[in-house]
Amino acid sequence: MGEREIDQQLVDRAQRGNKHAFELLVAKYQRRLARLISRFVRDSVEVEDVTQEAFIKAYRALPTFRGESAFYTWLYRIGINTAKNHLQALKRRTPTTTIFDAEESENFEEAGLLHENNTPENELMSKQVINVVNSSLQALPDDLRTALTLREIEELSYEEIAAVMNCPVGTVRSRIFRAREAIATNLRPLLGTSKDKRW
Amino acid sequence: MKQEISALMDGELFEDDAEAVLDKLKRNPDTHEEWRTYHLIGDILRQPDHVHVNLSIAIRERLQAEPTVLAPSSRAINNGRWFALSAAASIMALSLVAWLSVQVGSESAPQLAMQQPSAVHSASLPSNGFEDYVIAHQEFSPRLDVYGMTSYVHTVARHQKVEQP
Repeated sequence: MGEREIDQQLVDRAQRGNKHAFELLVAKYQRRLARLISRFVRDSVEVEDVTQEAFIKAYRALPTFRGESAFYTWLYRIGINTAKNHLQALKRRTPTTTIFDAEESENFEEAGLLHENNTPENELMSKQVINVVNSSLQALPDDLRTALTLREIEELSYEEIAAVMNCPVGTVRSRIFRAREAIATNLRPLLGTSKDKRW
Repeated sequence: MKQEISALMDGELFEDDAEAVLDKLKRNPDTHEEWRTYHLIGDILRQPDHVHVNLSIAIRERLQAEPTVLAPSSRAINNGRWFALSAAASIMALSLVAWLSVQVGSESAPQLAMQQPSAVHSASLPSNGFEDYVIAHQEFSPRLDVYGMTSYVHTVARHQKVEQP
C-alpha cells in the first residue's frame, strides 16, 4: 500500500465515523497545510486559525470526498479556499498589512515573515526543536542517516533505497525506524507530555 | 509496534498489515504519539528553517464538538460507479450488436427484392446494344470477383446464342 492508499484507508475510516482516523490525517498534514496557508496569510496566529478552520471544513466535507483525487490535493484546495476567504473577510473589515496577493505569495519568503510575526517563545522553541532534530540526525551512524534522508528528503521508496544502499528492503525498513526512534528519543523531553504541548 | 507505525507512514505495509496497524492505532490512542513525532521529524527534515506549532490537540478539541461524520465509503461509491459504468458499457455493446444485425437483415431483403425484378427484366430484354455495352464495360465494374465473372459469362453466352440463328 502506498501513502495515498494509506490516506484513503484513513479517509474511509473517518467516513465511517472514526474521528481518530481523521486525527491521524491531521497529524500528518497539519504542518504542510500550515506552510501552504502561510503563503497567503502573514500572521502566524492567523495561520494557525486558518489551518484549524481548513481541517474542520475538510472534516465536515468528508461525505463529499469521493477519492477521485489524492486526499492531500483535496485538503490543500480547501486550505487555499479557506485562506482566500479569510483574506476577503479581512479586506471587508479593514485593510491591514497581513493581506497578501495570491501572486505575491508565489515569491513569498515564508521563513523571514514568520520570524517577524511569530512570538519570541514560539520562535525559540521552534529553533530548539529544529536543532535537536538536525543534531540528532548528524549523530546517527552513516547507514541510518542515509536511509532516513533518502526516505524523508528524496522521498524514495524502500525498494529504491535498498537498491541505492545495496541491502535488503527489510534492512531499509529497520534502519529508517531506528533513525526515527533515535531522533524521537532526543526530541521527546523537549516535546513534553502535557496535553497542551505546542510541538 | 513502533516499527510498524514507521513503515505504515511510509506506505510500505501490505494492505492486511496496514489495516491491522490502523486497528491498533484506533484501539490505543497513545500510539498516536509516535505517529505524530515521526511526522514532525519528517516535516523538519524537509523544511529545516521553520516548524509550525502542533495544532492537532486544538483541532481534536474542535472535532469533538463536531457531529460525527457517517458517509458511504468513497471506495464503495467508486466500486458502485465502476459497476454502473461497466453495466452501461455492456448494454450499449449489446444494443450496437442488435442494431447492426437488424440493419444487415433489413438491407439484404431490399437487395434481393431489387435483384429479382432486374433478373426478370433482363430476361425480357431483347438482345440489342445494351448487352454489348455491358460486355464492353465489364472491366470497369467494381465487381471483378467470381460472381461478376459469372454474369459476364452468362451475358456473352446469351449474346452468342442470339447471334447464331
